[in-house]
Amino acid sequence: MGDVARPYPRPDRDTTPFWEAQNRHELVFQRCKQCEAVRYPVGPLCPRCRSFDFDWVVSGGRGTVHSYTVVHHQAHPAFPVPYTVVLAEMDEGPRVIAQLRTPPDGRCEIGMPVRVEWEDHPHQSLPVFVPDEDRGST
Amino acid sequence: MTIRNKAAIVGIGQTEFSKDSGRSTLRMALEVVLEALGDAGLKPQDVDGVVKMGANDDIFEIDLLRSLDLPNLRFFNEVPHGGGAACGTIAMAVAAVAAGMADVVVTFRSLNERSERRFGQSSAGGAVGGWMQYNLPHGLVTPAQWIAIFAQRYLYEYGWTTEELGRVAVLCRKHAATNPHAMMYGRPITLEEHQSSRWIAEPLRLLDCTLDTDGACAAVVVSADKAKRLKGKSAYIAAAAQGTGRRAEMMTSYQRASLCRLEEAEATAKELYRIAELGPTDIDVAELYDHFTPMVLMALEAYGFAPPGKAPELLGEGRLELDGDTPLNTHGGHLGEGYLHGFGHIVEGVRQIRGTAVNQVREVRTCLVTSGTAVPTSGVILSKEPY
Ligand SMILES: [Zn+2]
Repeated sequence: MGDVARPYPRPDRDTTPFWEAQNRHELVFQRCKQCEAVRYPVGPLCPRCRSFDFDWVVSGGRGTVHSYTVVHHQAHPAFPVPYTVVLAEMDEGPRVIAQLRTPPDGRCEIGMPVRVEWEDHPHQSLPVFVPDEDRGST
Repeated sequence: MTIRNKAAIVGIGQTEFSKDSGRSTLRMALEVVLEALGDAGLKPQDVDGVVKMGANDDIFEIDLLRSLDLPNLRFFNEVPHGGGAACGTIAMAVAAVAAGMADVVVTFRSLNERSERRFGQSSAGGAVGGWMQYNLPHGLVTPAQWIAIFAQRYLYEYGWTTEELGRVAVLCRKHAATNPHAMMYGRPITLEEHQSSRWIAEPLRLLDCTLDTDGACAAVVVSADKAKRLKGKSAYIAAAAQGTGRRAEMMTSYQRASLCRLEEAEATAKELYRIAELGPTDIDVAELYDHFTPMVLMALEAYGFAPPGKAPELLGEGRLELDGDTPLNTHGGHLGEGYLHGFGHIVEGVRQIRGTAVNQVREVRTCLVTSGTAVPTSGVILSKEPY
């Protein structure tokens, strides 16, 4: 961590349960009560059937790397380089952005299985991805 | 009814592009607006419409109104979504003119992006809402980083390497090298120089990323009937359109089915070709928004110049050179001339139609100009003759 705090979410009336769940170390998604579609990012209406009724479901925390970037040029004081940011496609469907805790060989690959771990920051706990040793590379 | 050839760009203005303009964005905006009006043979008191780009611009229509003492301003709006808005300002101007809500519409962009506000740097701290809350806390904080996520997937799915990105940069820098107006005038690059430039956010290197620029551009739009009575050489607007894609976010539409397709650009292309009654093979010159090299490849595919995943072949075969099928970014684009968020592309498109560009393509009848990608976007097709 640098001297400057990293940006953190400003929960609103839609997103507060999502961020509170992350502070409990749970990655949650909304699931429509009408059509059961899982949706993300957080929003009040199901874009599939336009129902306002939903539950929160807890993700199993497993997915695969859909894309990623290794950041080399420091653009923000809170994020010393290099670091890797992953877009993981979770088993439940949504794609989630989080940093990759660098694997032993230092590399990231598309298709690599990952699972969620948690980091506590001053304002907000956030997920990070780590290679999922229980599942071989696809 | 369509808007096809109902309006024309009759005047253009452009300051020098530099690392430090030495003057205010308001002053530059006024310089280019006056230049564009003079080019068209019009006066400030003729202006009754102003359309501006919404994001990162601190010059508003009332600033022009006060400074130029515009007595008749009756149509004014702004187009959202950053660089996606550039051709959208022309589309709004066409709509205003076609609907009779204005006769002379000025559009412009004025930035001291290099000397005063660099968009590639992020100082965002504290609490963030909206789409940013899912990205910024994880260190995904700049446009280059947001775009890198799309680019990495594009290279992976189609089996290309970063050399294919490099060829876009080499081409734009080649065209900039012979454009005295370009920040990179006389400074072409080789593919080796691209490959050895430092990483910004993999797979993007420094030479895949746009320059930061101080400068301003303006264009004046009037009805086709009025254009015929003016002294300036008109570029008729065969089509102008905006486009969106599903599950849209500002540069982070990561939930959509494919990260390798530009849905916004595909929608814009479809509408432009419908209105103009043209297709990609009818386009003589293409000025495509190039903030980052991979998005040029995806845009070439979205606008129908290559099938999905095949745009790099166009570069390999030289088909985007000045003597090729579809000369690309003849002024050098953002990567070589400078970054006015798509407005330099509009001005260059008008020059190509007029036959006055420094890298003039022979026998130009039509020019496609497009705006920012990975955001809701826009485009225009300019035509030498109304048809
Ligand atoms: Zn539903």
